[in-house]
Amino acid sequence: MRIGILTGGGDVPGLNPCIKAVVERVADHGHEVVGIRGGWAGVLNVNPDDPSTVDRWLLPLDRARVRTVDRTGGTFLHTSRTNPSKVGRDRVPDFLADRAQGDGPFDFTDHAKRVIESQRLDVLIAIGGDDTLSYAMRLHDEGVPVIAIPKTMDNDVHGTDYCIGFSTAVSRGVEFIHDLRTSTGSHERIAVVELFGRYSGETSLITGYLAGVDRAIIPEVPFDIDRLAELIMADKARNPSNYAMMTISEGAIIEGGEMSLSGEADAYGHRKLGGVGADVAGLLKRITGQGIILQSIAYLMRSGAPDSLDLMVATNYASMAADLAMEGASGRMVALRGGTYTNVPLSVTKEGVKRVDVDELYDAEQLRPKVRHVSGKPMFLY
Amino acid sequence: MTVIGLITAGGDCPGLNAAIRAVTTRAVEAGARVVGFRDGWTGVMTNDFVLLDRDAVRGILARGGTILGTSRSDPYVHGSGVASLTPTLDEHGVDVVVVVGGDGTLRSAARLADEGLAVVGVPKTIDNDIPTTDVTFGFDTAVQIASDAIDRLTTTAEAHNRVMIVEVMGRTQGWIALYAGLSAGADVILIPEVPMSLDEAAHVIAERHAAGHHYSVVVVAEGFPSPDATELARDAFGFERLGGVAYSIAPVLERLTGFETRVTVLGHLQRGGTPTAFDRVLATRLGAAAGDAAVTGNTGVMVAARGTDIVTVPLSEAGAAIRGVDPALYDIARSFFG
Repeated sequence: MRIGILTGGGDVPGLNPCIKAVVERVADHGHEVVGIRGGWAGVLNVNPDDPSTVDRWLLPLDRARVRTVDRTGGTFLHTSRTNPSKVGRDRVPDFLADRAQGDGPFDFTDHAKRVIESQRLDVLIAIGGDDTLSYAMRLHDEGVPVIAIPKTMDNDVHGTDYCIGFSTAVSRGVEFIHDLRTSTGSHERIAVVELFGRYSGETSLITGYLAGVDRAIIPEVPFDIDRLAELIMADKARNPSNYAMMTISEGAIIEGGEMSLSGEADAYGHRKLGGVGADVAGLLKRITGQGIILQSIAYLMRSGAPDSLDLMVATNYASMAADLAMEGASGRMVALRGGTYTNVPLSVTKEGVKRVDVDELYDAEQLRPKVRHVSGKPMFLY
Repeated sequence: MTVIGLITAGGDCPGLNAAIRAVTTRAVEAGARVVGFRDGWTGVMTNDFVLLDRDAVRGILARGGTILGTSRSDPYVHGSGVASLTPTLDEHGVDVVVVVGGDGTLRSAARLADEGLAVVGVPKTIDNDIPTTDVTFGFDTAVQIASDAIDRLTTTAEAHNRVMIVEVMGRTQGWIALYAGLSAGADVILIPEVPMSLDEAAHVIAERHAAGHHYSVVVVAEGFPSPDATELARDAFGFERLGGVAYSIAPVLERLTGFETRVTVLGHLQRGGTPTAFDRVLATRLGAAAGDAAVTGNTGVMVAARGTDIVTVPLSEAGAAIRGVDPALYDIARSFFG
């Protein structure tokens, strides 16, 4: 059996050990693994009639090739946000150019299927978030065997309690916030720490909760800037060291405003976020007259080696996915449900959206985490 | 009995607490009394103080920041020089003031010394640009943090085939950028002292990508000249965004290379957190030397690292031009570009 494996979307710590564990698991049974480079872009860019494209985009993986990859962050297969069913004109490979009539986007799923068939890939293991897995679902619907592994630093794939990368991202966030406390306290300032988190504030909420920040702004709850200024000044006055610490998700919305976006939309309709932290820092400075420390943790949240929890989940997800692939299953996503490893239909990812349960975990009046009940919740509370 | 006043002033930096601990412990050991003033010169001007003894400085060695607090207040800008300090100093019977500070603070200290105040300076800055000392505490920690961050960001840049621009501190010189860039193997290092054009940087990146390495890491010091002021990002209210030169370089490099480019500004993360062992030892040695100078009446001086020794030099030397990086070291780094 030949198993194709790919990583899509934003990189997170834990992807490399996940790939390694799949390779080792199936090698025991004499199966082959082929790494697809650059996420779904790899499938799009292979021209079965041109061996040089096969060499460029497909990487045979064996024990020797993956021996040391688990020690680093990122993904050695590389990744992309390419969606073969919505390819922008500028991303169309030359050999498919004659099929791209009009402005696009173009659906090259038939080409993807031809590549998978010509390369004799019996099953694909796709490691990704919502967007990457939505295309995995599409291929499954078209008869291509696919197994999915959820990863995202936002922990926002519906159908699983946990996605690879979340724990390390939160750990990094907490660590950096505590590091900033000495500077913020020494200067008696207000620190505004911007964290990654697009439509869901999990990372900001849980990081803020665990770091014990004074206020944590999440995208789900638009906030009034004057109210925030009032609260944060009271926090500062209450702190014996006379400083205050707040986090804000990059997708946060000032009441009456909208998300701070820039650049062109990608193949999944998302534009780059960024800037709300600077907006809020500027406004707070003007309203309160206080010195502000603005710090965006951004890529540092998801860079570097995984922590032990992400190593554990990445390795176990890989083993389950490899077993499912070898059993001939398709359309399944490995998952954690109720603290137990399991697998669910991949279609579950489409049946809802995973967001912070604001009523349960957040105090919209006080603009900070408030955990109302713990018993019965999954390990990371949502 | 000698009474020593102690302040920390200017930007905080890892190692300040180690220095406070060393000044205090050494002075108390010699029979002196130590009065710490809060928030730099502000505490002296407003008589906001805390008595420091051996117990007051236990357990702070490994902590970043400063237990005394700090500020950018200056006795010549916010007061009338020595006259604005003497009421408080006289009340406590302070004989010598030990000032832990950077470039600007030490220059004010030199002026106060000229006016007759007994002062001992202790250099501190993560920027490492004080001319009279070979190295300052805080620098090693900042370089270590930046180097670790670049290591981590390299895997993300590689995963996405991107150019990652990492902005580090250094308003007028590129010490942190050069050392962290050397340490982490940056593909391009941009510092204020060396005029490397963005065209040249883009060329290095393009050649690297052409050779099959589809990602690059660029380290830039915050003081590197902005390529084009009109490309500075503005916030939703039309104000210039807080944040650095990396944001104005990124669109230019993206345009010149055609490669997706992202920015990480390390900012205050370089100053926070626990000092490295090197900085703890350096701060302790400088602090101990300052305590010794104060109790023996060796004032109007600053302590300094010279080679492997700690020496005292006249405070007046603190006025010399700031110290940039050694161009020879940049030449070595350049060999590894791309």
